[in-house]
Amino acid sequence: MKYSIIGLFSLLLITCSYAQEKEFTLSGVITDVDGKTLPNVSIVIATIGHSSKSDYTGKFSIAGLPRGKHVVALSHVGYIPETRTITMENTPTDLGTIVLRKTNYAIKQVDVLGDIYATTPTGGLNKELVDQQYIHRHLGGSLMQTLSRLPGISNIGIGSGQSKPLIRGLGFNRVVVVEKGIKHEGQQWGADHGLEIDQFATGNIEVIKGAASFLYGSDAIGGVIDIKPEPLSEKESLSGSLNLIGKSNNSLYGLSANLQGRTGRWIYGGRVSYQRYGDYGVPTDTVHVYDYPVLLHKQKARNTAGKERNFHVNGGYATENFQSVFYFSNNSAQSGFFANAHGLEPRRVDTELHDASSRDMQMPYQRVNHLKVINRSSLKIGFHRIEMEAGFQHNFRQEYSPYVNHGYMPPVYPDSMKMPSNLEREYDKRIYSLNLRDRFSVGKHTFIAGINGEYQHNQIDGWSFLIPGFNQRSAGAFLYDRYRLSEKVSLHGALRYDYSHIETVRYMDWFPSVVSEENGVTETAYLVRANDLQRTFNSLVWSLGTTYDEGDFSIKANVGKSFRVPIAKELAANGVNYHYFSYERGDPALSPEQSYQFDAGLRYSKEKLCVELNPFYNYFTNYIYLNPTPRHDHFYGAGNQIFEYTQSRVLRYGGEIKIGYRFSEVWSAELLAEYVKAEQLSGSKKGYPLPFSPPASFLANMSWQPNRGFLKDSYFSVDLRLAAAQNAIVPPEKKTPGYKLVNVQAGHSLMIYGRPIQINLQVQNFFNTRYLNHTSFYRLIEMPEAGRNVVLSLSLPLNFKNKQMI
Amino acid sequence: MKKKLRLIGAVAAAMCILWSCEKDDEDKAVDNDAPVIDLGADAFPVQCSTLKRGETFTFKTKFNDNVELGTYSIDIHHNFDHHSHSTEFEECDLQPKKVPVKPFLFIKSYDIPSGQKTYEAVQQIEVPADIDPGDYHFMISVSDHVGWNTIKGLSIQIVE
Repeated sequence: MKYSIIGLFSLLLITCSYAQEKEFTLSGVITDVDGKTLPNVSIVIATIGHSSKSDYTGKFSIAGLPRGKHVVALSHVGYIPETRTITMENTPTDLGTIVLRKTNYAIKQVDVLGDIYATTPTGGLNKELVDQQYIHRHLGGSLMQTLSRLPGISNIGIGSGQSKPLIRGLGFNRVVVVEKGIKHEGQQWGADHGLEIDQFATGNIEVIKGAASFLYGSDAIGGVIDIKPEPLSEKESLSGSLNLIGKSNNSLYGLSANLQGRTGRWIYGGRVSYQRYGDYGVPTDTVHVYDYPVLLHKQKARNTAGKERNFHVNGGYATENFQSVFYFSNNSAQSGFFANAHGLEPRRVDTELHDASSRDMQMPYQRVNHLKVINRSSLKIGFHRIEMEAGFQHNFRQEYSPYVNHGYMPPVYPDSMKMPSNLEREYDKRIYSLNLRDRFSVGKHTFIAGINGEYQHNQIDGWSFLIPGFNQRSAGAFLYDRYRLSEKVSLHGALRYDYSHIETVRYMDWFPSVVSEENGVTETAYLVRANDLQRTFNSLVWSLGTTYDEGDFSIKANVGKSFRVPIAKELAANGVNYHYFSYERGDPALSPEQSYQFDAGLRYSKEKLCVELNPFYNYFTNYIYLNPTPRHDHFYGAGNQIFEYTQSRVLRYGGEIKIGYRFSEVWSAELLAEYVKAEQLSGSKKGYPLPFSPPASFLANMSWQPNRGFLKDSYFSVDLRLAAAQNAIVPPEKKTPGYKLVNVQAGHSLMIYGRPIQINLQVQNFFNTRYLNHTSFYRLIEMPEAGRNVVLSLSLPLNFKNKQMI
Repeated sequence: MKKKLRLIGAVAAAMCILWSCEKDDEDKAVDNDAPVIDLGADAFPVQCSTLKRGETFTFKTKFNDNVELGTYSIDIHHNFDHHSHSTEFEECDLQPKKVPVKPFLFIKSYDIPSGQKTYEAVQQIEVPADIDPGDYHFMISVSDHVGWNTIKGLSIQIVE
């Protein structure tokens, strides 16, 4: 197999033509329907893969093109992409004025960029593109909750402000989140950990649904969420914006303000965001933790309040061919856990203390700080575009809970302990990353060659133990090739090699446990929970795809192999998770997860109708997961059920359907459906699905955008979501009944003193429906999801000129 | 044009078939039922039971499973700080909070003979004479052959 792929690559390379010809220049100006010039429009010479952008006057000029026929693709978020076939015979060739029309969709839920013109070389993979406007219209408690409206995307959430992505049912370390080109590294393995990302500070977001290891390396086996930075100022300016947000359900208030500008070639910007929220409301008075009824005070999930403070600064230097920007950001958050249960363990609660205020955070709570410093640089030399991202991240996470002696821990917390008695867990992680890429075209080939490297240093602290500290280094190299067979057909191929090395740090319990009981004699010892384990992994993965594009119809297909290196928890866990009544045991002999995936995409778009089908088929030779066994362990496991990391063969398939229809200028409808099925084909859970499988769901949307008179720049839209029951479960999950949910969104752009103020209003869970979310952390203790939530957000653009407001 | 529509139709049909396949899978019955801890009339201890220190008591509980039981474990630990709650509906009267000196700790797991759908667990457990009396939790955990697990956390008291 390996040789045939290498052979194919050589063949692709050999077919390159190196003929040197006279170079031509192409130019033009891009405007919208009203004649306003459009800056920042992406212009891709699809035939050779060369790309450029229009400047702030809407003009563009691309030099150095070879003679002959070219396909020029113009795309801009919110506008219908435009493709033109031109013949270069004279230089310069001026295309004149090109008018881009706004997209038909009232709700620009998905930008309709053809995949071949996308910014990342995802070949035939399926993806969604989301812009800031979409985020403001569908703003959820966290970025992943906002994105979970997209078909195929759901989230694993805890409380109202924390969640992590789930793409087609795969999550945790199987989804890579990339921010500003650097892989975001937090504590992805934990279901109660959120994603440390400020949803106000994002540019466009690209979601790749499906394995993309060939580009992003290990972990991208389930998909990728690629968060681009906010666009930089294009001209001499100083501008900013102020966003205000309020939510009724958890009495949230928040604001985010930014300022950015450009002086000559220097660009700079900054943003602050703040959010503070109280306990979230659920449409019930009582929650049952096992058989014990927990009475809720004013229908609020006790102690789920939180706050979030984010701070960003960036600055850099940009010319037409060179750009280097530094991004600094710090994200800090604190949020409480539901006080009546810590994990699955029912807790006795001092209701007087907890119910005194719905905004305070008592124990148990978590505190996370994530610091990032990133440099993104790019340099254009001829047809080469060299890109570099270097990053440092520091993720510091603490979980506080009063000391409770579990298992063999001493009944009273010893005074001699150095760590505080209420610090249950601490994870301190430092990550150094580097990416280098060169995009270049040779004949009809567009290549991207790149290397990635990462070093992680992880330390742990706290009186409870789950995973050991570890150090990990990894490096990868890839080559991607897009070969344009004809105007309509492109072939994509990629090959990648990765190396990874992990070393876990020895951990010994701070208290003695009973290790044997023979003839009435009890022996105790300080247990070694983790040893100095060392593992090295090597992987070779590949991807092959094709795209066929014929005007209003396009088809794509991709097949590829992906991998994921086992994480420290899977290799070296050996501790009791008292909150789950489980003794979790890693397997140091696990091999890297390997998966083969086939993706297809069919798209038809003409005038009023747009139909998209995205089926996928996926096979894992060894899916690693935490398998609950029938056994209990009363020595190392302190009497708890043994959960072992195991690998099994897994088959997954499913897909998404999107249908958009525009009835008239003002009315439009949208139907989204998603389905995923997973089955284990071997091992002790043969016949069972995978945990956290999202149920089939269907979303129907109706939008009204009157676009005239007072209601110009207004929209009103209703989402009806139908989720099927999830009866495909694996221990220790519970079956989840289906539900119907109605969300309403409306917005209006108001002109005040000549400045447009955007008002967005949402009512989430309009009918205050009591329902359970199968992928929620609190599902196992039967906690229903948040009740009705009115979300109001205001966005005020600020423009300064010569430091004066206009 | 017609061809394209036909192609879309074909794929849509294929997806629908895929969709409907799901129903057939229901026949491939996997065991989705957790075992049951039956704290019936014979069972001891139950919620709010009292044990005497220095004496041996007989733990007696019935376990049921639809297919096959796995193993079970017992954990007795103090609740002098009222840290956690029992899993049961009924509330018991708790003694005032206190600092443990020598609390009773009992952790043990037991096998159940293979192939059992019902099993009556009987164990003699000795409560030492020198341990702290007071509020305790009596945790019973039972699993079945595929790893479904049921937990009962009982509030009990150990008295002089």
